[in-house]
Amino acid sequence: MDPLPPPDPKRFEVSRGTLLFDRFMGIAIRLGGISVILAVFGIFYFIGKEVVPLFQSAEVKPVGMMHSDVPPAVMGVDEWGKLPFFYNGGDKLVFIQAKDQSRKEVDLPDLNGGQITAFSYDPVHQRVALGLADGQVGSFAVHYQQTYEDGKLSGVDASVEEEPFFQLEHGDGPVTEISYGDSGTGRIIAAKREGSTGSSVSIVQLGMKRSLLGKGKLSLIGETEVSTELPAPASLVRSSQNGAMVLIACENGEVAYFLADSEGVSKRQTFKPFDTAVPRQINFLFGGVSIIVTGSDGEQSQWSLFRKNGEGERLFGETKTFPNLPQGKVLFAGSQRNRSFLTGAGKHLSIRHSTSGAVRWEGETDLDPVAAVLDAKGENFIVAAADGSAERYSIHDPHPDSSWRAFFGKVWYEGGSEPVYQWQSTGGTDDFEPKLSLIPLIFGSLKGTFYALLFSIPVALLAALFSAAFLPPDIKKVVKPTMEIMSSLPSVVLGFLAGLWLAPILENRVPSVLLMLISIPLTALLTGFVWCRLPIQIRNRFEGGREWLVVLPFLALAAWLSWSLGPVIEKIFFVYKDPATGKEIADFRVWWPHATGARFEQRNSLVLGFMMGFAVIPVIFTIAEDALSNVPKSLTAAASALGANRWQVVWTVMLPVASSGIFSALMIGFGRAVGETMIMVMATGNTPVTQWNIFNGMRTLSANIAVELPEASEGSTHYRTLFLGAVVLFAMTFVMNTIAEVLRQRLRERNKLV
Amino acid sequence: MSAEEPKNQTPFSTTGRSRKGEPWVWLTAMGLSIGVVMALGLLLLIVVKGTASFWPRRIELMEVKTPQGKEMIAGFITRETERKDSSGALHQEVQIFRGNKDISGDTFRFYDRKDILKASRPKDYLRIERTEYGPAIVKPVALETSSGKVPAKAADFHKKLDEWIDQAADARAQLLVIERKKIGAISREIDALDTALKNQKVDPKVAEKRRAELQAEFDQRQKEAAEIRAKFTGTNLLVQTADGHDASIPVANVMGVFQSNQAGLFQRMGEMWHRIWEFLSDEPREANTEGGVFPAIFGTVVMTLVMSLFVTPFGVIAAIYLREYAKQGMVVRIVRICVNNLAGVPSIVFGVFGLAFFVYFVGAKIDHAFFADQLPTPTYGTPGILWASLTLALLTLPVVIVATEEALSAVPRGVREAALACGASKWQTIQRVVLPASLPGILTGVILAMARGAGEVAPLMLVGVVKFSPTLPIDGVAPFIHPDRKFMHLGFHIFDLGFQSPDAEAAIPVVYATALLLIVVVVTLNLTAILIRNRLKKRFATSSF
Repeated sequence: MDPLPPPDPKRFEVSRGTLLFDRFMGIAIRLGGISVILAVFGIFYFIGKEVVPLFQSAEVKPVGMMHSDVPPAVMGVDEWGKLPFFYNGGDKLVFIQAKDQSRKEVDLPDLNGGQITAFSYDPVHQRVALGLADGQVGSFAVHYQQTYEDGKLSGVDASVEEEPFFQLEHGDGPVTEISYGDSGTGRIIAAKREGSTGSSVSIVQLGMKRSLLGKGKLSLIGETEVSTELPAPASLVRSSQNGAMVLIACENGEVAYFLADSEGVSKRQTFKPFDTAVPRQINFLFGGVSIIVTGSDGEQSQWSLFRKNGEGERLFGETKTFPNLPQGKVLFAGSQRNRSFLTGAGKHLSIRHSTSGAVRWEGETDLDPVAAVLDAKGENFIVAAADGSAERYSIHDPHPDSSWRAFFGKVWYEGGSEPVYQWQSTGGTDDFEPKLSLIPLIFGSLKGTFYALLFSIPVALLAALFSAAFLPPDIKKVVKPTMEIMSSLPSVVLGFLAGLWLAPILENRVPSVLLMLISIPLTALLTGFVWCRLPIQIRNRFEGGREWLVVLPFLALAAWLSWSLGPVIEKIFFVYKDPATGKEIADFRVWWPHATGARFEQRNSLVLGFMMGFAVIPVIFTIAEDALSNVPKSLTAAASALGANRWQVVWTVMLPVASSGIFSALMIGFGRAVGETMIMVMATGNTPVTQWNIFNGMRTLSANIAVELPEASEGSTHYRTLFLGAVVLFAMTFVMNTIAEVLRQRLRERNKLV
Repeated sequence: MSAEEPKNQTPFSTTGRSRKGEPWVWLTAMGLSIGVVMALGLLLLIVVKGTASFWPRRIELMEVKTPQGKEMIAGFITRETERKDSSGALHQEVQIFRGNKDISGDTFRFYDRKDILKASRPKDYLRIERTEYGPAIVKPVALETSSGKVPAKAADFHKKLDEWIDQAADARAQLLVIERKKIGAISREIDALDTALKNQKVDPKVAEKRRAELQAEFDQRQKEAAEIRAKFTGTNLLVQTADGHDASIPVANVMGVFQSNQAGLFQRMGEMWHRIWEFLSDEPREANTEGGVFPAIFGTVVMTLVMSLFVTPFGVIAAIYLREYAKQGMVVRIVRICVNNLAGVPSIVFGVFGLAFFVYFVGAKIDHAFFADQLPTPTYGTPGILWASLTLALLTLPVVIVATEEALSAVPRGVREAALACGASKWQTIQRVVLPASLPGILTGVILAMARGAGEVAPLMLVGVVKFSPTLPIDGVAPFIHPDRKFMHLGFHIFDLGFQSPDAEAAIPVVYATALLLIVVVVTLNLTAILIRNRLKKRFATSSF
């Protein structure tokens, strides 16, 4: 026999191809796996990135100097901040192009030789009001024209339009203070004259008669002398840009508020903005409902019109105070887009926002400014010094009305009688003040979750206990998937049923439902009580684990009885007596608001809580059941061997051992409920209220995002605030889930040891 | 079964002799009862209400007392509700559907149950399905054709009517082809020509000539359509409503006539199948309250399939990496917790992310790179089916990762070691041994992900779903697949019809039917997953050692 050939050592070697492919797959899977995981974390990064700009303050940069030889008393600018004008009461208006410093002078209309003694500028209507030495008052308007090339702004030009003058009848001497307002259909001029007989203050109302063709004609309606109504001689007059009111500051520090309407001018209120200081500037904010008062010591506070305690007439009250300004000439320029304003004193400048009371930016200027102006887009401002030199700054502040306080604090909004948490992101008018507090939404989410869990936790935990401890395996095989199927029901179906099917049914049957909440558990307990008093021979005929089927007919009976008895209960306990007619109405929907002061709505938390049960119960049930089933057999068997009956084993052994697992089930149930969207959208009224009342709805973070985000424009404050809502929602669920996960892992390890 | 072997192995298989604590046991039993009743009850409710919306009801002619006197109404009761008046008294109220939106104004009437004085089921009443204004419930008078009138009492009335209805159906099909396909193609070509002309890619003279040709073809098609329509002018169904109004229904608009009160059980079942088929295969009409939901089914299916196309490979690769390649330590544990947690993150958060990242970021980049000539009208920078699928893929990624990891870890260690001992490389082991063994588990995960994706609505509202879309995401127009298109979705259809429809009452049957359809899809997917999982458990139970 030939000896076998020696084995080829190569035959145990792996082919190079296999090795290469193995290495390749190793790298590919590592790369793929890591990139998927990174992508998952990219979600957090990307949502966070959208939110960050909300918390950035304004950026202000100097962009260039300009020189006019006019020491500006008033200064105005066009919408783009490109062509400011400077004016000091002479007969010329000087425009300087920001781009190339080119200068243009415009002669002012002939003033009949009158000498200008007072002027003011209204940036909203771009109008300069003039008061003359002989007591005439009037104005001229600056009109800017833009030229476009290829859809881009290429140049700005300006012209001046003369407007009529009127002779003041009251008082004598020159006009020393003037302020102009324009409501579109009428105008108002407030002027102070300083004469030999003392000072007088007149409020002139002008009407605008519109002809069918062309421009309207101004006509005098009346002039009212108001100095007799002032507590002290006037030091400052200011009419609102919308021409509806006049504020007059007096030398003793008080401010008088006059309302001008079709019935004339009448004094409504006097108030004292500061304890000791005298108001040196009063400026209306965008919207014409709030003023910023600056005092002689640099104090600054905001006063708004509102009804005290929600009653009576709207009067001014202090709503916010701002940090003090340093000493120096006070500057002020209000935005025409939102409620921010530029203010400053001396070399100090700051941009502030009235809604949140926040300082958006602070800085120093090299000039010694005497005037400041903000363009209508809020992108540029110009400060000018007494020598006519001016510096232009650009502002980048895309989200002026956002701040921690605006999102999470109580804010005193315009027109409100106290600081509140409020969500109202969009309004009907341009000058709407966005109310962006997330608190009502967070509250809504928590309220919805609370009522959902109030119903789900007992049902789910009881079911899990029974299933883990008493249910025979062959039944369990059917029951568990049934509960799992429940968790897969699309929430849009649940929401639809809640809103359109259950809510109308329950609306008339609240007492029945309340009765059921009591009668059903009682029936179960009673059935158990009666059952265990039956003779042992009968009881032994039934196998354990069938109790849930046996109890069903009794529960159904209890439910039916409660449903039918509900109206009877309503007639006994929930009767409201109408004081007007003396008629008694047995209607829970009427009784509830009168008894508790809280509203009753068809789509309320009761309906929501029940429907949310379909989404939450299976989640809690599955996890709690797992935790309870995994309690080591040795423990329960030991307890049984020591003589514990079946409930004692559950109560004293299973529950304590599985407690952390049950707790984690609750956490995950919480996470599921808090993020649920469609049920919340469809089954609640979606009003952002902050009451725990079970018979009204709520607006949750998730529903709010679903409803509002499709309409929010990309990159706007509203859009980013909704993202912030998503971050809050995400954080809530993530924290809860992490706690739950850690607890579960710990429980698993502990059970392994036993 | 022998006496020594108790049938059930639970530690508490007897009800116990002790009475202590027994009521509490029954309380826990109540929890389970409520849970099971809730789950089954809801399914039953949807099934009953959903099926009932297809069932052809008998038409009742009712005499009703009103404050003005008496009135006649023909229709059927769609809902019975309780209403409390201002004095707190409870009224049983019925909602009656009478159709005839164009003749009588309102389709639904509410009456106090007590006010219905008399009810009968006259044999001659018809339910007429129409292309416009919803169904009509009327008494036929005559069929008016160009060759004269056929009275309703005539023996061949129904035969003639059916012939005309069949002809009308054919004509509608022809018109659809002409108007939507042929004329649509012409206007698309004209648009393309305009764009080419604007970008100076075509000679103006050639373009002008081509345009003239297209215009001629367009006119020709329009003439054809007008001819088809002309055949039906003057052919009307003359009817009378229960309250005595005479009306005439153009036969061209009649889709079907059903003699509700003469039909036997089988005829009614046939009608029901007909309606179900129509519901599944037709497009919506009358602001989605009539017709079918085919575009919504199509959108849901395409979106779910595209989603699973994305989620399966990525989910499986991530799971293989985590389980087989990554070093098991603190970092992987934290990653695993995070992935698990992601499954609990609210779906709307994913929608928010999808909107910001896919639509406004990636979509805008694609538009700038490839569709710059159409800006500022966005192509991909607006919600669409691709972005919706990707968003849902992210949403369901944790489901697949978790399920795959579980399946991988359930493959017994011995099997792997055997493979390695035979000289297989690591990848060969995974490819030939581990993956095949865990395939059912992975499949379970994918099916669960599909079920979750199909039922999810909230994120879709942000990234691509619309209430009505005349075009499908896949159709016969080049390039055939349109990932940028918006789409309809069954879940959103429910929300939109139930809560944003101008005629919510009329929409309710469609909403229930849609809910039933959605639930059938989702529950079937889930049951499949559960079945696969149960089978899997058995297999591993025998193969482990």
